[in-house]
Amino acid sequence: MERMLRLVICIGFSMLLSSCASGMKFTQANPSLAPPNPEFGRIFFYRPSVAGAAIRPDVMLNGEKVGEAISHGFFYVDRPAGNYEAMTSTEVSRKLSFVLEKGQTRFVRFKISLGFFVGHVYGELVDQSVGLEEIQECKYTGGNNQSNK
Amino acid sequence: MGRIFALLILVVVTTSGCPFNLADVRFLPTEMQASAKSERTFALAKEVEISQLPCGYSRTLRNGTRWDLVGELPKGAIYRSKDQSLTLECSNVYEAYLVIEEDSLVGFYLPVEKGFVRVSDPIRLPIKK
Repeated sequence: MERMLRLVICIGFSMLLSSCASGMKFTQANPSLAPPNPEFGRIFFYRPSVAGAAIRPDVMLNGEKVGEAISHGFFYVDRPAGNYEAMTSTEVSRKLSFVLEKGQTRFVRFKISLGFFVGHVYGELVDQSVGLEEIQECKYTGGNNQSNK
Repeated sequence: MGRIFALLILVVVTTSGCPFNLADVRFLPTEMQASAKSERTFALAKEVEISQLPCGYSRTLRNGTRWDLVGELPKGAIYRSKDQSLTLECSNVYEAYLVIEEDSLVGFYLPVEKGFVRVSDPIRLPIKK
């Protein structure tokens, strides 16, 4: 029984570790905050908490997959100025709508809330000062920076 | 006991449908117009706590944040800040701008949804012009 319990703990721990981001830290990657094209804006997506790490939903931006909401992970995309809707789905879909302007940098932080069977991962729009502080220890997970639209 | 619990879950799921998607921000569809007002910008002289928001959430407008006029509605002038990201939240989260009439916050404008959300009681803002 004790051996079984140890095995379950080990599996749970390894699942938790493998669920977290493993790329280069934000401080090492040191990405530019502004997009190279002045007609575009840059959106950083990040998830600073390890809570619910096994849940890593796709991040859809105006219906197009741009990355995954992975614990301790971040990615960014450049998009033309306009209206955007970032959506994550677990047992329900949660949306964040916001405006992106030319040359603007926006930060979207993912959090998790309690769900019925599975936690709900949802995006919040945060100020640049807050985003920059919280994203420092997050690791690059690679986003789809090429829009298909 | 197990059967009763399973039955209870089944009843909750089937009677409530999707229990987490019920609450949403209700807004009045409206289009922002260009504004002819001469007062183009203001700053807040102190922090403002707004608690009467949809779904029981609250927001704090920070002391010193600058707000720029971006348009107008019949209900008031629309201001946006580059110092502070403001959102309204229920099941989903919406970026929001302030709608101000005679130095009082009367509601919010949702720029993506093009909608107006009224506050139940206007809130006098400590405006520094």
